Order: sequence, then structure tokens, then C-alpha cells
Amino acid sequence: MAYSTPHEPASFHAEHVTPVATLLKAYAALITLMVITIATALAPHYVASEFFNSQIGSVFNNLVAMTIAVVKALIVLLIFMGLRNGSKTVRLYAVMGFVWFLLMFIVFADYGTRQWEPVRGWEPIAPGSMPRQRGSSEPDIERTPAPPPLSTIPGP
Amino acid sequence: MNATAQTHAHEPNYLEAGHSVRSWLLTKDHKRIAILYLISTAIFFFVGGLAAGAIRLELTSPKGMMLSSDTYNKMFTAHGVIMIFFFLLVAVPAVLGNFLIPLMIGARDLAFPRLNLLSWYMYMAGGLFAVLALLLGGVDTGWTFYTPYSSMYSNSQVTLTIVGAFIAGFSSIFTAVNFIATIHKMRAPGMTWFRMPLYCWSHYATSVIIILGTPVIAITLLLVVIERAFKVGIFSPELGGDPILFQHLFWFYSHPAVYIMVLPAMGVISEVIACFSRKRIFGYQFVAFSSVAIAALGFLVWGHHMFISSQSMYQGVVFSFISYLVAVPSAVKIFNWSATMYKGSVWLASPMIYALGFIGLFVLGGLTGLYLAGLATDVHLTGTYFVVAHFHYVMVGGSILAFMAGIHFWWPKMFGRMYNENLAKYNAIVVFIGFNLTFLPQFILGYLGMPRRYHYYYFAPEFQFYHILSTAGSTVLGFGFIVPVFYLLHSLKYGAIAGPNPWGAKGLEWEIASPPPVHNFHTIPIVRQEAYAYDAVAEEQVLDEERERTKVKN
Amino acid sequence: MSSLAHESTKPEGVFEQFETLDQQQDTYMIGMWAFLVTEVMFFGVLFLAYAVYRWKYQSIFYEVHNELDLLKGGINTVILLTSSLTMALAVRFAQLNDKRGQLRMLGATLCGAFGFLVVKSLEYSAKFQHHHFPGPDFRWEDPTVPASVAQLFFSLYFAATGLHGVHVIIGILVISSLAILVARDHPLVKGDYIPTEMIGLYWHFVDLVWIFLFPLFYLIPK
Repeated sequence: MAYSTPHEPASFHAEHVTPVATLLKAYAALITLMVITIATALAPHYVASEFFNSQIGSVFNNLVAMTIAVVKALIVLLIFMGLRNGSKTVRLYAVMGFVWFLLMFIVFADYGTRQWEPVRGWEPIAPGSMPRQRGSSEPDIERTPAPPPLSTIPGP
Repeated sequence: MNATAQTHAHEPNYLEAGHSVRSWLLTKDHKRIAILYLISTAIFFFVGGLAAGAIRLELTSPKGMMLSSDTYNKMFTAHGVIMIFFFLLVAVPAVLGNFLIPLMIGARDLAFPRLNLLSWYMYMAGGLFAVLALLLGGVDTGWTFYTPYSSMYSNSQVTLTIVGAFIAGFSSIFTAVNFIATIHKMRAPGMTWFRMPLYCWSHYATSVIIILGTPVIAITLLLVVIERAFKVGIFSPELGGDPILFQHLFWFYSHPAVYIMVLPAMGVISEVIACFSRKRIFGYQFVAFSSVAIAALGFLVWGHHMFISSQSMYQGVVFSFISYLVAVPSAVKIFNWSATMYKGSVWLASPMIYALGFIGLFVLGGLTGLYLAGLATDVHLTGTYFVVAHFHYVMVGGSILAFMAGIHFWWPKMFGRMYNENLAKYNAIVVFIGFNLTFLPQFILGYLGMPRRYHYYYFAPEFQFYHILSTAGSTVLGFGFIVPVFYLLHSLKYGAIAGPNPWGAKGLEWEIASPPPVHNFHTIPIVRQEAYAYDAVAEEQVLDEERERTKVKN
Repeated sequence: MSSLAHESTKPEGVFEQFETLDQQQDTYMIGMWAFLVTEVMFFGVLFLAYAVYRWKYQSIFYEVHNELDLLKGGINTVILLTSSLTMALAVRFAQLNDKRGQLRMLGATLCGAFGFLVVKSLEYSAKFQHHHFPGPDFRWEDPTVPASVAQLFFSLYFAATGLHGVHVIIGILVISSLAILVARDHPLVKGDYIPTEMIGLYWHFVDLVWIFLFPLFYLIPK
């Protein structure tokens, strides 16, 4: 048990002090990457290229933007937030957080495999026009207006 | 480990150190905070129980006799919201976990004592909002708050209730952060991860689930509130949104939530079974890893609550498959507990009776869950009383029975008094009988087609027989839950004084006085044995090591 | 703040539940990261909802996102990145026990935070003026784009950036409290860099969220 002698002021020594140069370099990298992201996103407007203005170009742009964002995030995490020098536990938790966030995308197993355009079963309501029931007890019968008969559905 | 209890006559125990209200309400002592939680969760339990009583009373008649449909909806919603958000998610971790984890790992307190107190205050604030919502008319959406009813059409106190649940969720998160930091960093010297009691493993896994899952439901419910308040939303079909998205997000948390409710209970059972079989837990590492596996797999099965929600069939297949998988780690635990008892010296003390009840009822509940995990069978059984019976078997027959086991097991440690053990034993059996009488008929009801959350069943009067059985059982069960309040409170003043280790259990918490002193350990122990060193072999090993050490010194 | 009544051999500044300083500092770090995990999942839901809807309505979202002010978004990104730098420098000064440097850098971070909020409020007020805030007052003029999906986009936009803004406000409160404590040599922070580091982690996380929010909302490709 490593107690220091009593009444000695604690040596609040920091294990790893990041040098200013590293922080400034990281900052420069972040700004540069931001500029690149904006440039790639605006490319379709200014570059008269087939590629950039097509569907593949759009996917490519998405990919590039996300990759750059991930790289920026890594810079912030590793250098600004000190994960580069962090303990294993802390790094595990950081990884776990992002992995779990990605796990939520399992939901695409649903949204990617079915046609989920909400089917209109009623006419679009004007805001505020839906009758709101005020007051307390009521008979055990339906309270909201019935939907219009099927024949008026405009179709999917 | 020290064989003798550490008693220092001058040191007050945590109950004696300060008698003012202020010393209790501003305490930083994890043990006092645990007692605060005990009192508040017990109150919420009985409020939720009253709602259950109203439901059961109402269902004895096919037409519905006392309550209007709206009120009935509010009753089952109240029952669900209170029992889940304010009792089950909180009881074992916040009451027993808060009290025991520092004791079990040889620490003086949790990592963040003031955060711990804040957790309790947030829990009370959340509870206050929920009670306020009840008083102002209640909420009738069901505890699942499905959109678009909850976000657009319900006139009840949805916002208030959600705010209550939101705050309680953050209370839970802070407790989890506390446990994680404590278990990582504050174990006594020599207590490696694999020498830690399995109780701590289960709470660690629970805490990880909490930090990964609770924020999801927090923001999802927040979005519902925003939709109600600003008439905007991302779940409303008129905007091109999808109400099923709400269900995905809701169940992404709420399925792991049931593991938050059951994992700590399993931790209690590990401790109780080991002590009352006088044997170490069979397959310690398997049990430890199964907790982690349940935590991880539990996040991958949420779609099984949505098989008939119009989600894609392919997603259904994926979730069905993984749902079958998630039964495996739980089964591993059951097998290991059974193997622990095999050739052990079983002592049927009241905690053990509850623990045995847990094993039986949890297995039944788990097995019926398999029917619900299968896509084809679930189509018929979902939304019926089969589901209701299933989750009550695992939640009440599982978690609550384990909570009772834990309370009875550690009561002498917490208060230094022994309760009437015979009465407790009889009561445990009453609880078991009452529980089965309440919920076994509900399996049959569900199979026969009785839908859940239905106020009346006049279209099927043959169900009445089972409903009456169920209500009779619930009366017995209610009795079984009320009686302990009396004998436990009675023991506080008139019970026999309990020594440090009335059950002869192994564990750091049993090495100190009952009730424990304020700072738990006078000197932090050094751990040299595995957990549950109940056999003679392990004892010999320790004595040998002691002899070696003293020899070397001399 | 060791306040054990009986004998204590602990160095000053170590709380009573801890044995050593290292243990205390490591524990606070683990606790803070565990909390940040909850924040990741908290924002994650909004990102997921956004991803789901953008998957379906990519082209419509592209049209609608042109209404967003890229210039202001870009300025905000620069402001936030800079404030992240100044926060990291503040942590560094705290580690070196340089009070003045620390206070200067915390002040700079606060300026950045306020600047962010100012630009954001300019953005929001422009949106309110154009009736782009979702709800009963929403108005969408372009007939080629369905108004309902436009409203959906803006719901997501305001939910995500609004939540982020709330976190910026909380950050301002926390950083200014820290600055006041540091300025007054309060025992909680005197000579101890851990509170600053913890708050630094929070602020970097706020920056992280914006790093993803900005391309996702403002830079939707065609």
C-alpha cells in the first residue's frame, strides 16, 4: 500500500502532458480535414464531372465525408481526449461506446428489407384540426372519428 | 482473510453514527443510502401492487364491474410504470448493490459517494413526477408508450410520467457509473477479477447494460414528449415518419432492461446458493462470463417484441435466432447452481427457499420465453396472457423472489438483528404457492386466447374460472409480500442480536461486525483466497499460506 | 478533503474512500468515460433516426438541406474546433499547475462556446422567420418537395442541433463554475488537474458530436 508520509502535499503529478506542438498539429489537421470535407461536398456544384453528379458520386461523397469525420473524431479522441496515453480500461470503454452505437444499425435489417412508405389511411390533417377530447369519463365506445372508407385512399 | 471478525468497540456502526434527519438525508455513506432506497422502493412496490390488485379484482368478472375502460387502462399502465421503472430496475442494484458491493470487495465506500446520494434524490424526484402524474389523472398508454397514441392522441399525463421515468433513468445511470468505477478500481489488494464474488460480476454486467441502454430510452421518450409539446415528430406517419421506429428504439433499451432486472437477482442467487450448500459455485468462470454474455447478447434481441409489428420478416428471423441463443447463458447459470447444490450440504434456511423458488420459477419463465422466441408460435401467443405470465414468472418469480432472498440473507448484516426464521420459511412457501396460483392459470388463459390489457372478456366467459384462480392467487401472493414487512420491522427492535456471520457464509462482508461500522473496514483486508472458499481444501490452503508467510518472516 | 476522524496516513487531497492518489485519479477517469459512453448512446439515437430517414429520403433531404446556412455551420465548426484546442490547452496548463494559463484558456473556451451559441441563435432565428420550425406553423414553399418530408428533416435537424446546443449550454455552466473554483483556489481543484481533465473530456465530446452533425446535416451530397 503506497501511502506517502502524512501531511505531505499530494503530488498531483500528471502522467502524460501533451506537448503544445502536438495539440497545435492536431488542430491544424482538424481544420484541414474540415476544409476537405466541405470541398468534396460542394464538388458536384463546381466540378462538371459525370462522376460527381451521379448516384455513385453521391455514395462516394457520403463515404468520403464519413471517413473524414471518423478521422477527425479519432484525432479528437486520441490526442485531445488523451486516449493515446490512456489506460486499457478507458480505451475499452471508448471503443465499446462506439461499437454499441453501431449495433443500433441492426435496425436496417428491418428498414432495408421492407417497403415502409407509410400508407395513407386518411386524408392529411390540417394542423390543429384533429378533435381533441377534453373531459373525463366517457362510455366504453370509440372516441376518435372513424377513418374514411377504403375507397377514398389515394393509393400507395 | 482474517478469520476473526474485526470489531473495534469504540467505532460506532453506521446506524448509530448520527440520528438526525439531516444525517440521513445528507449522508454519503453507501449503507445509509441503501436503506433510503430500501424504504422508497418498498413504498413504490406497494403502490404498484395496489394497481395490480385493482386489475386482478376487475378481471374476476367478464364484463368489468368497478372500473371504466379508461381507468382500467390507467391501472395497468400505472402498474407497469411503477413496477418497472421504480421498483424492479432499482431494487436489487440500488438497495443490495449499494450496501454490499463496497463490503464485498473490501472498500470503504463506493467510488463517488455524493453521486450516490444524488442518484437517490433523482430517483425520488422521478418517483414524485410519476406519482404526480397518477394523482393528476394517470396515463393510459401502457408502460410501453407506443406511438402514435402516446405522442399524438392520448389525453392523459404522458409528459409527466415520461419526465419521471427520464429522471429515474439518469439516477440509474449514475449508480451504474459508480459501480463500474468502484469494481474496476477499488477492490482490495489480492482481489483479482476472478476472486471477486459473483454478485459483483453480475452487478458489473448490469451496470454496463445500464450505461449502454438507458440513454437510448431517455432520448426516445424525450422525442415523444417533444412530439406532444410541439406537435412535431419523427414518429408520425403524416410527416413521412415511422411509428415502428419508436418501437425499435424503445425495445432497444427495454429488452436489455429486463436483464438489468434479472442479472443482479442472479448475483444474489449465486451468493445464497453457495452459502446454503456450503460449496463453492460450480464453474465460477462460466457463471462470471455468462453474466457478460447475457449483457452483450441481450442487446441483440429487441426485435422479438415486435414480431407482429409489421417489421420485416427477415429481421424477425435474425432476432428469433439470437433470442434462442440468449437463453444459453442463463441456462449455464442454472446448471451451475444445480451442480453447486449437488453433494453440497443443503440448509433450507428462508433465503435458500426463496433461491430454490427462483430456480424453479425462472426456469419455467425462461422456457416459456422460448415459445415466444419462435416466430410462428409468437404470432399466436404475443399480446396474450401467455406473455404476461411469462414475464411475471421471470420478473416476479425470478427477480422479486431473489430480492426477498437477498433481503433475508443480508438482513442480519444490515441491521444486526435476526428475524423470525420459522415465520420467514413459511412465508417463503406462501409466496411460492400464491405466485404459482396467480400466474400458472395465466399461461392457460393466454394459450386459450385471452388478450392482455383487455378490460373485459365477455366474448369468452369460459376464461372467468382461470381469472378467479389468478385473483385468488394474487391475494395469497399479496399476503406473502406484506407479512415480511411486519416480521422484518419487528426484528429491528425485538429480534435476536445477530453476530457478524449468523449463516456461516464466506465473503468479506461477513468478516466485519453486524451492523457494519461507518467506514466498513478498519484496515483494508488482503485477499488470498478465491471467493466461496467453503471446502476444507481451500481452508487448508489458506492456513498453509499463512504458515509459510509467518515462517519466512521469522 | 480527507476528513477521517481517526488516524489517517493518506496524503492531502485524497478522499477517504480511496487509498492512494493514483487510485483516485484513475477512478475519476473511468467514471467520466463511462458517463461519456452514455452520452454517445444518447446522441446515437438521433443519428440512427436520421440515418433511417435519410436512407429513404436521400434526394429529398438533399433538396431541403440547401435551406441550411452552410456558412454559419462552417463558422460554428471552426469555433468549436478552436474551443476544443483551447480546452486541451487549459487541461495542459492544469496538469502543469499553471493557474493563469489555465484561466486564460478556460476563458477562451467560454468565448468560443458563447460564439457558437450566438451563431446558432442567428441560424435558428432565420429558420423561425422562414417558418421552417416544424409544427403547426411550418410552411414549405417549394412544390417539388413534399412538405411532410421537409418537416421531417427539420424535426431531425432541430432535435439533433437542439440537443447539442443544450449540451453546449451545460458545458458553459460547467466550465464557468470550474473557472470560478480555479480562480478562488478552491480545495476541490487546487493543485488537482483531474476536474479540469474531466470537464475537458466533456467539452471534447461536445465537439465530437458536432464533427458528425456538420457533414450529416449541412453537407448532404446530391
